[in-house]
Amino acid sequence: MAASAKRRRGWRKRLGALARFTGALVIVGGLYSVFSPSLYAQEADDSANAVDSEVVKGQELYDTSCISCHGDNGEGVEGRGPSLIGVGSASVEFQVNTGRMPLAAQGPQAPAGEPSFTEEEAEWLGAYIEYLGGGSTVPDNLDSLVANADTAEGGDLYRVNCSSCHGYAGGGGALSSGAHAPSLEGVTDEELYQAMLTGPQNMPVFADNQLTPEQKADIIAYVQYLVNEDKDQGGVFSLGRFGPSTEGVAIFLVGISSLLLATLWIAGKS
Amino acid sequence: MSAHNDDRRPDEVDLSDPKLSRFDVYREGLRRDGIEIIHYEPRYAKPGTKVEKRMERIVASLFLGSGLFATLFVVAYIWWPWKYDGAATWRDPQTWYTPILGITLGLSLLLIALAVLTWAKKLLPVEELVQERHDGGSSRDDRRFAESTVDTVVDDMGLKRRPFLVKAALLGAAPLGLAAVAPLGGLIKDPGDMLTVTGWNAEKHNGGEPVRLMLKDGALVRPEMVATAGQITVFPAIEGGASNEFASAPTLLIRLRATDAEILRENLYPMYQDVEAMWGDFVAYSKICTHVGCPASLYEQQTQRLLCPCHQSQFNVIDNAAPIFGPATRHLPMLPLGVDEEGYFYAKSDFLVPPGPAFWNRPSLPEEDEQ
Amino acid sequence: MKRRKGTSQSLMTRAGGELDDRFKLAGPTRVLMNKVFPDHWSFLLGEIALFSFILLLLTGTFLALFFDPSMTHVTYEGSYVPLQGVGMSKAYESALNISFEVRGGLIMRQMHHWATLLFMASILVHMMRVFFTGAFRAPRETNWMIGILLFWLGFFEGFIGYSLPDDGLSGTGLRIAEGMTESLPFLGPWVSAALFGGSFPGDEVIARFYIIHVFLLPLALLALITVHIGLVFAQKHTQWPGPGRTEHNVVGYRMFPNYVMKQVGFMLFVFGVVAAMSGLFQINPIWLFGPYEASVVSSGSQPDFYVMFMDGLIRLFPAWEFRVPPYFTLPGVFWPGIVGMGLSVLLPLAYPLLERRFTKDRAHHNLLQRPRDTPARTGLGVMVIVFWLIGVISGGNDVFAQAFHISLNAMTWAGRIGMVVLPVIAYYLTYRICLGLQQHDREVLAHGLETGILMRDPDGRFYEVHQPLAEPDEHGHTELEYGGATVPKKMNRLGVLEPADRGFFKSIEETEDEGARKGGRRDEIEAGK
Repeated sequence: MAASAKRRRGWRKRLGALARFTGALVIVGGLYSVFSPSLYAQEADDSANAVDSEVVKGQELYDTSCISCHGDNGEGVEGRGPSLIGVGSASVEFQVNTGRMPLAAQGPQAPAGEPSFTEEEAEWLGAYIEYLGGGSTVPDNLDSLVANADTAEGGDLYRVNCSSCHGYAGGGGALSSGAHAPSLEGVTDEELYQAMLTGPQNMPVFADNQLTPEQKADIIAYVQYLVNEDKDQGGVFSLGRFGPSTEGVAIFLVGISSLLLATLWIAGKS
Repeated sequence: MSAHNDDRRPDEVDLSDPKLSRFDVYREGLRRDGIEIIHYEPRYAKPGTKVEKRMERIVASLFLGSGLFATLFVVAYIWWPWKYDGAATWRDPQTWYTPILGITLGLSLLLIALAVLTWAKKLLPVEELVQERHDGGSSRDDRRFAESTVDTVVDDMGLKRRPFLVKAALLGAAPLGLAAVAPLGGLIKDPGDMLTVTGWNAEKHNGGEPVRLMLKDGALVRPEMVATAGQITVFPAIEGGASNEFASAPTLLIRLRATDAEILRENLYPMYQDVEAMWGDFVAYSKICTHVGCPASLYEQQTQRLLCPCHQSQFNVIDNAAPIFGPATRHLPMLPLGVDEEGYFYAKSDFLVPPGPAFWNRPSLPEEDEQ
Repeated sequence: MKRRKGTSQSLMTRAGGELDDRFKLAGPTRVLMNKVFPDHWSFLLGEIALFSFILLLLTGTFLALFFDPSMTHVTYEGSYVPLQGVGMSKAYESALNISFEVRGGLIMRQMHHWATLLFMASILVHMMRVFFTGAFRAPRETNWMIGILLFWLGFFEGFIGYSLPDDGLSGTGLRIAEGMTESLPFLGPWVSAALFGGSFPGDEVIARFYIIHVFLLPLALLALITVHIGLVFAQKHTQWPGPGRTEHNVVGYRMFPNYVMKQVGFMLFVFGVVAAMSGLFQINPIWLFGPYEASVVSSGSQPDFYVMFMDGLIRLFPAWEFRVPPYFTLPGVFWPGIVGMGLSVLLPLAYPLLERRFTKDRAHHNLLQRPRDTPARTGLGVMVIVFWLIGVISGGNDVFAQAFHISLNAMTWAGRIGMVVLPVIAYYLTYRICLGLQQHDREVLAHGLETGILMRDPDGRFYEVHQPLAEPDEHGHTELEYGGATVPKKMNRLGVLEPADRGFFKSIEETEDEGARKGGRRDEIEAGK
């Protein structure tokens, strides 16, 4: 009888040990899941769910495309890329949507080009950087601000603040040593807002305390009117809106050439 | 017709001869002008050939085509919609008004030009004539006549015999000449202090009260209104301060990053250190380029340069805006900044050196001479 | 002589008789109508300038009816949306009104501006023709000087003209002019104050510019143009050397009908080109610039092309300022701005006298020289053109830098070095090319034309058959002298007769029955009519 009782006591003991072990795991796991911060923490409302998944996707993109120059958690890498802490989603969306970032090669400035990410992916990256360090964002009511903007007021502000680099006609301009202020042709309202707000590269920062969102909307309305909406009424060709330099080229290439050909015909023996 | 040389020219034709043709008379007229015909023949051997008729038709249709386009021009001028009515694209007819006018008028003029030129090139006779040049001075006789005439006139007036009279005349006439141009003196204005004193001068423009900084729309400027690495254009907060009346006053207010501000503080010229021209991380430079006066307002916030777009002078923002490239030779004057009890920026004084382009008696200071 | 009704004889007698009674026109009419003019395409270039000037007078009169040269401050209430409510001068407002409120105003403004550019461009092209062919030599030095003055009067007339609308771009240019004026030693601030009525920009300068632009300078231009053309009439036009052409005659065709019809046609052509350009190409869109404000500027600011040379000089000139502290400063802009402009006026004016002194050639010249025959002058001319072109390109170096993604600083340095080095290289190259062309001329005169026909002699040697231009001696050389005229280099250019293919746009070969003019097969006009 002793052997079977011992055997009965043995598997009970093992079962009890297993139960205790499992119970301990459950308790520890439960404590852990309750008290530890988690990217997967469930919150009450749906929108917060959406932000978090954007941030996660943004981090995935960041870790493959941006981390080599901008470092872990956006802290920057000496000699390669500045810190992104505090630059905000507006700055990120601007740089990525205009194709300036990711930067292919170091140079006097990052040129605009074909974006490497979709607009949605740019939003995710922006959300991630916003999550990391905060910063400025584009207001949600930008469209209505621009629709109600004062174009003439925008023109005044544009000429005092912007035309010296971007030109009267928004065509852009040369800066020192190879840098340049880009043309504003085909630039969206959001990109204009983001650029003013964040001051990418050599562009000064025009924060909301300096140019209010309404004033920025005025400038955007003016730029869109001038550059993208109102076509030149003076002719079929605008000569690039470069001004007197191309006008001078045109008078020689078109005017003098055609008249020279005419003189050859008039005085010729034909 | 062979070319005759002067010695064997025929005698003058007698115009009363009834056998002379019109051409004979014409040729005589040419001869009297020193002109001789080398050849002169109709362009087409026989009048009324196919080629000639074709040319006439071409010229006629060019004239008519020109008239057509001129009519189109007038019609378009009167009836095509032209009034500007807000942003317009190529789908709106009024953007086509000027191009249509130019093209119709241009074509009309070009076609009539071609008509006249084709007439001249294809329908006029083929000709080559020679005319004598009478190059060189007048004939000897004419010169002698002129000399004797001038000498006689001078003698009649007695100019050579009456030197005293001549001198008196000149002495009297000279001030009269001066009197004729004297009224232009009404243009003359004493420049006074127009180049040395700007709208920031408290005594001259604000009754001794320090002049505050304002934006173009009149809002007074507080330090919180400028972001780091941002810049704004400020004007003296006086009547008309932002207008062209004070064209040498526009100033750039820049808020530097802390590290850059520290470098600038170390580099400050003694005259700016003495008056504490910077306020915190803020610095204010005259916007008027010291080369020829355009606003030097391209602020590159990463390279810390101010670029002037007119002649590409570049100024180092963290070294008193000293010129580092281009034709400018002097730094952009710094406006001494302060913040009053109400939290508004004000100018502690006018610029310490005159802003804008230089002039012959511009005060120059030792710091500038070292550049 | 039969008196026939309806012929020009009776016309002249009836209508002309009354006029001639009073004004004695018969003689001058004949002389004028018969005047012989030489025929070459390059002689028509000056007329482009003349016709542009006429167009400027016509379009300018229209604009003057609508423009208000006042600097009184107003608020814009016209139809151009982005400027509504903006403060500006009446001058700018009236220029905007011409562009947007006056029917056809915009095309008149554009024609006026394109005609200006054509005026200045054609003066340059005409000046180059006169220079490279030596037409400025005695007795025509005065006319050359008048021409240079016409260029500079046009320069200032154009500068003042585009500054009249008081827009942002031209106001910037005016500021630069003021800075240059200020740089004059001792006089600078006083001249500036006199011109602007005090400090810049003041309230007077646009109105003063207006009277200079619509009255004083056009008067001067009109007077000088009249003298310029009058001298050409009186001294008779120069001509190229050639068969029958000497220093003492003019070979060509009559003023009436041939020359006058071509002139009228060409004038209409010039008008047509300007009108077409004014409809096709937008020029000077002042509404984009806003009113002139001293705190506003744009990247890519240039003056009109004929002023860009000066702007380029100012951009390139190094930062050299002479100071005797604290008494005297000679601003850096004095050198390119004042001295540079002064030399640009004086050196071309004095050139005929300088060349006369240098070559010791005091004879009258009515025959032109081919550029290759004066390598030194041609080289000098090319050198000046290269220098001018570098200046103009440097005047737009920021537009270049931005359009072609070149560093702005590099453009400046390229201009500085290029301005010194490239003209010298250009002179040397031109000189060598001229000498080479001269040598080829003489070689063709001595050995004949290359026919392109290769022959092989029994020894196996290849040689090209040459067509001699005159009877050759036993060695195959001709003793022809170079006469200053074009030496034919191709077989189809041989002889003094017309080339066989006369067409300009398409080939017109000579046919048997109609239009044949060789060998006197057609009757000359000798009688009848």
